[in-house]
Amino acid sequence: MDSEALKEISFILELQNDWIKRKALGLFIDPFIIESKIKIMKKEELASIFLSSWHPIAYIEQITIKKLINALDYWKVLTPLSQRLKELESAKELKERIMKVSELINLRIISDRKFNEEINKMKEEIKNLKKPIDYWDFIMRDSYEETIFRAYLLSFIISEGFVKLIINPLEEKILIELCDNKEIKKESKSFPIVINYEIWKEKRDGK
Amino acid sequence: MEREKGWKMSEEAILSRKLRKALQLLLFQHHRLPGAKGWELRKALGKDYLNIIRILNKKLEDLGLEIKIIHESKEEEDLDKARFYIVFKSISEELSSWRIDTLAILAVSIAYIATKNSVKKQELQELLKEKFPDWKIDQELNMFIRRGYLEEKDENLYIGWRTKAEVDIKKLIESIAGYNIS
Repeated sequence: MDSEALKEISFILELQNDWIKRKALGLFIDPFIIESKIKIMKKEELASIFLSSWHPIAYIEQITIKKLINALDYWKVLTPLSQRLKELESAKELKERIMKVSELINLRIISDRKFNEEINKMKEEIKNLKKPIDYWDFIMRDSYEETIFRAYLLSFIISEGFVKLIINPLEEKILIELCDNKEIKKESKSFPIVINYEIWKEKRDGK
Repeated sequence: MEREKGWKMSEEAILSRKLRKALQLLLFQHHRLPGAKGWELRKALGKDYLNIIRILNKKLEDLGLEIKIIHESKEEEDLDKARFYIVFKSISEELSSWRIDTLAILAVSIAYIATKNSVKKQELQELLKEKFPDWKIDQELNMFIRRGYLEEKDENLYIGWRTKAEVDIKKLIESIAGYNIS
């Protein structure tokens, strides 16, 4: 048998394999039949067929008085857009960046061993929490450096999936809560929290 | 006798309250998706929530509505994870607010994807191009994806959560093919 014939046979086998797969996974109908039927059908016919197999979900989107009041409260405390943009720009100017653990070790802010110890210590602290706690209350310490260090440790623990953030944009509150085993790493997304000296001071004085 | 009557009344009142609660949970959209998960219903209505759902379904039947349970996947049977919806049993042509072109494009998209499990977006666009202009196809496909009728992943289109909840796919395909499928 020459190689050309062998190639043809393998091509046929591939097509058959594809067909069997589709038949096993799909609705036991040849897609080519549907495709050809679709091509010859009028759009009115297709629409009518669709309507006879369509059972739309019935649901109501309605605002409640409670939500309306919350939204009004939010509106009252919301700073003007121009001011918020300025804050964002000034935050950008500070050129915040993610520091690697190795950089912190080089800067002698932490030691490799101490970092793991601190992580475990904080995990124990979180395990003892009876209910979700405000993010800022949790990381806040008397010194700016200590607060930053706790925020840094917490970000590691959150990334591990040990703790989850509960974000309430209306109240502008961020709570932290211990994850149960089932929730760990189920779904994750990044959530930036800006900390600088000004913010720390504001939060500390407001505390 | 009086006491028995009072007890019966309170039981009826509890059932009525639970039915109202169930209806609210299923009708009001309180998450990104309409309907409610099994665990949410159990939490709000108690252990016998399925019984409440059954009674509510019976009452809704008279109004041309029914409760539909959609599992997360074909293999999944856990009712806690399933989503419960209220759907219309049927919808008349006059009451559908969608244009005939939109309905036809959706019918073709669902039928074509369902027989193949997934298709390249471009492949479906080519098929639709025979009868509809490019701009219309793009506009409608984007709308179907946004509303959950179709799902797009890496340039491939799949059947979306809303189609699973709202469309009798087997009936749609059989009607197009013109014969019953096993």
